[in-house]
Amino acid sequence: MHLNNVSGGVLGGDRLALDVEVQAGAAAQITTTGATRLYRHRAGAGDSEQRATFSVGDAALLEYLPDAVIPYAGSRHLQRTEIRLGRGSTLFWWEILAPGRMAAGERFKFERLRVHTEVYAGVRPVLRENYRLEPQQKDLSATARMFEYSHSASLCAVQEGRPSTFWRALEYKLNEMARERTRQGHAIWGASMLASDGVIVRGLSKSGCFLNEMLLEFWRTARLAVTGVDATPPRKIY
Amino acid sequence: MVPMGETALLRLLQLADSVLPIGATAHSFGLETLADEGVLKPEDVETFLSAYLEEAGALEAVFVRLSWKCGDLGALSEELNARKLARESREASLKLGRRFAELVNGMVDHGLIETDLHYCIAFGAAGAAFGIPVDAVALAYLNQSITGLISASQRLMPLGQGAASRILWNLKPAILRVSICEEASCFNPYLELASMRHGSLETRLFIS
Repeated sequence: MHLNNVSGGVLGGDRLALDVEVQAGAAAQITTTGATRLYRHRAGAGDSEQRATFSVGDAALLEYLPDAVIPYAGSRHLQRTEIRLGRGSTLFWWEILAPGRMAAGERFKFERLRVHTEVYAGVRPVLRENYRLEPQQKDLSATARMFEYSHSASLCAVQEGRPSTFWRALEYKLNEMARERTRQGHAIWGASMLASDGVIVRGLSKSGCFLNEMLLEFWRTARLAVTGVDATPPRKIY
Repeated sequence: MVPMGETALLRLLQLADSVLPIGATAHSFGLETLADEGVLKPEDVETFLSAYLEEAGALEAVFVRLSWKCGDLGALSEELNARKLARESREASLKLGRRFAELVNGMVDHGLIETDLHYCIAFGAAGAAFGIPVDAVALAYLNQSITGLISASQRLMPLGQGAASRILWNLKPAILRVSICEEASCFNPYLELASMRHGSLETRLFIS
């Protein structure tokens, strides 16, 4: 399924909601037709908001593979994502955050970006992220934050109930790949088992080039390991 | 800040002392990768830790305060577990929490603190159990946490005792600002990646 509405761009004050239910035993792959552009904040309007909730039934599969989020200069945005996985269900999800319109010389010129993410396997929280980026208040290039890099990417693979020994082995495999693909000063990658039921791959890069291709590689490896079936890439540029 | 009794002060000084035998000196929480790759140098440590405080420090300060208020500590620890994405740093925090709880329980001769909590949660719970005001508990936790990272930096790079003391001294206003933080927000992907990549270093002084 291709989501069209976000690719036209999100304007100040817009509130978009997406509620997806993948029923027991079903499989869904959801992507976008292009990047989610966040436009400049409009005086008097609230922060734009994008809320997505996914409910994945028992033994179902959800692949949520959107294009990058690009916060334009002056934008203010809130992104909330909540994913709940039923018994034995599987999730692959990636996320790419660009620093702005790099071609126009925009780098961290947005005003505010708040991201709240929650992934649950049954009742267990397996991944929670909550951050507020305000580049004018806090330097995103600080070493503890993004250092010399401008784009961030992550891929998350979760299957409810899978034991930690499986994830530890997959972490090792993905970390080997990450090590081979890391080029200091260009892009760095790493992988880690989540608190339970899953694994995450993280990347930071100086440009958006190759981020999709890299995520695709990690996704294919993780998908084959978790489901035993090779990935079917979205019908787009890949 | 709420006034503190003499006994509470003495107990807090001991619990937040860097020589508390819980194994904290074996962990760098990703700093070793940054030092090994030449990204973190002695002259950058103060700026690095200032940003560290605003992200990971703020997150932990929020959980110190939540645990002091005696919520469901197990659920709090599970939630923090999901927020710590890098396995080594997450496991280090749980290990220190267990050692801290076991030490405290041994000192008071009963099972005062659960032993499967993250360090900041066990610390907050101990502070509440000993009647130490929450503001002081959060400040002391952050101060010992930064002391530990400075100590790790001293073993990873040429950072002298005087310079290290000055860094800790200079960071007091940042510690104070972060200690009253109420929003559990954290964005430190480069440090997370340093922790995720720590296992790939050829030689390692630290467990994390």
